[in-house]
Amino acid sequence: MNAETKIERKAKKLGLKERYGHLTRGLGWETSYQPMDKVFPFASYEGIKIHDWDAFEDPFRLTMDAYWKYQAEKERKLYAVIDSFAQNNGQMKITDARYVNALKIFLTGVSPLEYMAHRGYAHVGRHFVGAGPRVACQMQAIDELRHAQTQMHTISHYNKYFDGLHDPRHMFDRVWYLSVPKSFFEDAMTAGPFEFLTAISFSFEYVLTNLLFVPFMSGAAYNGDMATVTFGFSAQSDESRHMTLGLEIIKFMLEQDADNVPIVQRWIDKWFWRGYRLLSIVAMMMDYMLPKRVMSWAEAWGIYFEEAGGALFEDLSRYGITTPKYADVASKEKDRLTHEVWSTFYNYTRAAAFHTWIPNDDELAWLSEKYPETFDQLYRPRYEHWRSLQQKGERFYNNSLPQLCNVCQIPMVFTEPDDPTKLCLRSTEFEGEKYHFCSDGCKDIFEFEPQKYVQSWLPVHQIFQGNCGGATMPEVLDWYGIKNGSDNLDYEGSPDQTIWNDWTKSAQRAAG
Amino acid sequence: MTYELTIEPLGETIAIEDGQTILDACLRNGIYLPYQCNHGLCSTCKLSVIDGEVEHGDASPFALMDYEREEGRALACCATAQSDLTIEADVEVDPDALHLQVQDVVGTIVRFEKLTPDILGVWLEIPGDGLPFQAGQYVNVDIPGCSEPRSFSIASSPANPKVIELHVRKVPGGVGTEWIHKNAALGLELRVTGPLGRFFVRASSKDPIIFLAGGSGLSSPKSMTLDLLDREWSGPITLIHGVRTAEDLYFADDFRQLAIKHNNFRYIPVLSQAAADGLWDGTTGFVHEAAEAIFEGSFKGHKAYLCGPPPMIDACIRSLMKGRLFEKDIFTETFSTKSDGENLAKSPLFKKI
Repeated sequence: MNAETKIERKAKKLGLKERYGHLTRGLGWETSYQPMDKVFPFASYEGIKIHDWDAFEDPFRLTMDAYWKYQAEKERKLYAVIDSFAQNNGQMKITDARYVNALKIFLTGVSPLEYMAHRGYAHVGRHFVGAGPRVACQMQAIDELRHAQTQMHTISHYNKYFDGLHDPRHMFDRVWYLSVPKSFFEDAMTAGPFEFLTAISFSFEYVLTNLLFVPFMSGAAYNGDMATVTFGFSAQSDESRHMTLGLEIIKFMLEQDADNVPIVQRWIDKWFWRGYRLLSIVAMMMDYMLPKRVMSWAEAWGIYFEEAGGALFEDLSRYGITTPKYADVASKEKDRLTHEVWSTFYNYTRAAAFHTWIPNDDELAWLSEKYPETFDQLYRPRYEHWRSLQQKGERFYNNSLPQLCNVCQIPMVFTEPDDPTKLCLRSTEFEGEKYHFCSDGCKDIFEFEPQKYVQSWLPVHQIFQGNCGGATMPEVLDWYGIKNGSDNLDYEGSPDQTIWNDWTKSAQRAAG
Repeated sequence: MTYELTIEPLGETIAIEDGQTILDACLRNGIYLPYQCNHGLCSTCKLSVIDGEVEHGDASPFALMDYEREEGRALACCATAQSDLTIEADVEVDPDALHLQVQDVVGTIVRFEKLTPDILGVWLEIPGDGLPFQAGQYVNVDIPGCSEPRSFSIASSPANPKVIELHVRKVPGGVGTEWIHKNAALGLELRVTGPLGRFFVRASSKDPIIFLAGGSGLSSPKSMTLDLLDREWSGPITLIHGVRTAEDLYFADDFRQLAIKHNNFRYIPVLSQAAADGLWDGTTGFVHEAAEAIFEGSFKGHKAYLCGPPPMIDACIRSLMKGRLFEKDIFTETFSTKSDGENLAKSPLFKKI
């Protein structure tokens, strides 16, 4: 039957790439009355040599028309889910109100980064000479703005019932632990365009992205938060383009000139370490804050960095690129990282915009099982001690302010790579001042560009300098926008717990 | 039920089984489509269905929107065929690809000869018009007692499609190749499927050509060299053939003769385990080392064709990239044996090397 419909092959069709080439032809231009380097002042100072901008493959290959249509339908679907989640009181069907604390971290620590990414891509897109990376960055800038917005809309529903979600932008600019993500992104945005893409598109969106999104989105799925899961799907369909941009820009730099290789290597080393330190809080969330856990941080690090990253760096070694410096330290830390970080927040619960708690017996057992080499030996005794103090009405609070690492801005709570019982402290002198670091990784970063990091806005220093509302805890909390007694402290006894218990009781009554 | 799947803009037609995804059918037929997540979420493998019906499977409603489904878009990693299909995918047209039709034929051994201690040359006569192929391509040979066919590159010139020459290396413990070594006889008939593969010379480019061959990986480069010289391709051609010892070299005299006859062709045999008897005055070491020495570590502006076992291919890619030649100018045909098993995990950094 098909024989008669068979037609002679017509002239060869153009491939999508060729068609796109014709469509975008002439988007770049050579300047006429101003020299190119005046119009593109940031394109060369980083030392990256580009000989042929057209060799950059635009991984997006999207037209604005298709982009709007596509994103509009995605948003319609997402907002339909958000509406039905609200109408059906989806917040009552999550596993446990403690889960909402993961969302608080996401909304205050991650969503503002999406907005910074929007600004960063818009900025660097302007500064690339080639039309390929320019268009890619501009499209991604729009994606990131959408992500920030849809995240806030998705999570804002929880703000009607739970504390700590009322002003993520304000908190992001002020709260001590949120200076970790903020300073990370500001570091990238104040670098040149090529370093920015290495930092965000490659190291963050490609190498480390699964360690950020899997914990939050799978965590949402495991804990009954369908609105956030839907947001995750909506964003994931953009992420492939973002990841591809990360790979393409790295290949482009490495292939354009041999002199680019050592520069790219240094950026990969730096941004691996910065990204890894940034993930500390996500790691902690995975192991301690999800009532129903997805996998342990150590397992996630093994799968997503050691295996997947291992394959990537094996391939990159063909360009002469080596595994990021201090990746071995990250692997040594994987069995202790989350315990050290959660303990820190337990210490400083008064100044956190989310709740803390001592893991219950089942959770302690899970941690023992997931961390057989370290948990019972080093961390369980500490938690049991704190629990007994708490039961005696002597809950432990750390009333001093911690010393912060001058680069990652995390309190100096990490331990020596080869000795988890000894604090890891590093320092260096610059222009007569002493600067402190949590690790060799952060120290190296400082020493390469000290002029940049002496400007760090370190929250503890700022409090001592009187720039954070005052010298007392209530004054600083007020300046942070943290409401004492409801946004902070333990989950036990919080308004979050009260409302959740009321819902649970009324559900039981209704069930008879 | 099997359907026909035509992939535009390549114009290639392959078979797709009931329930098989478009992506799987393409990858199994040597057609690379861009993809990433492989389970309907990331939309990297999105394509257009120009003709025919597909079932969208588990494609996420966010990765493949309703309006896109209405416009005939589909995700290759989830879509299965409900009829014969024509799709348009984001793949590049290769002006040098001949897209020859794959045939199932029965070849008869008309000549066989031990070329080295472990390589048997086998010449198969194909009835009718023969088996037209593009120099560099391979055939699958059904071997009695083996559930899956074995692949062999064609070593002869495509000028004569009626007799094809195969080089069968005896893989220690390899059921298929041992059977051929044991049972090769004049008149023996073998079922052959081909031509297959996308390893061929990009002759429309004028870039000088480097062939890097390891062991029985000489087969494709031999065919490609003969074809180029037949067609009087005028650019420089360098063939480096690496083997262990002098007795593993084969067709060396033929290549030396060709190098004398053609100014643009040079032939460099390399021994990795030359005997200490002083008889070998040629190059020693591995193929990639010889290439680095000959080209003084700089490969920019060339096209390189690599054929041989996996470690040799990897070492050569590293040398070429160190010498500033990258994926777009490197073409490989990896000879893996059944025992090489699963490849190591790959990242999406490279598509074809």
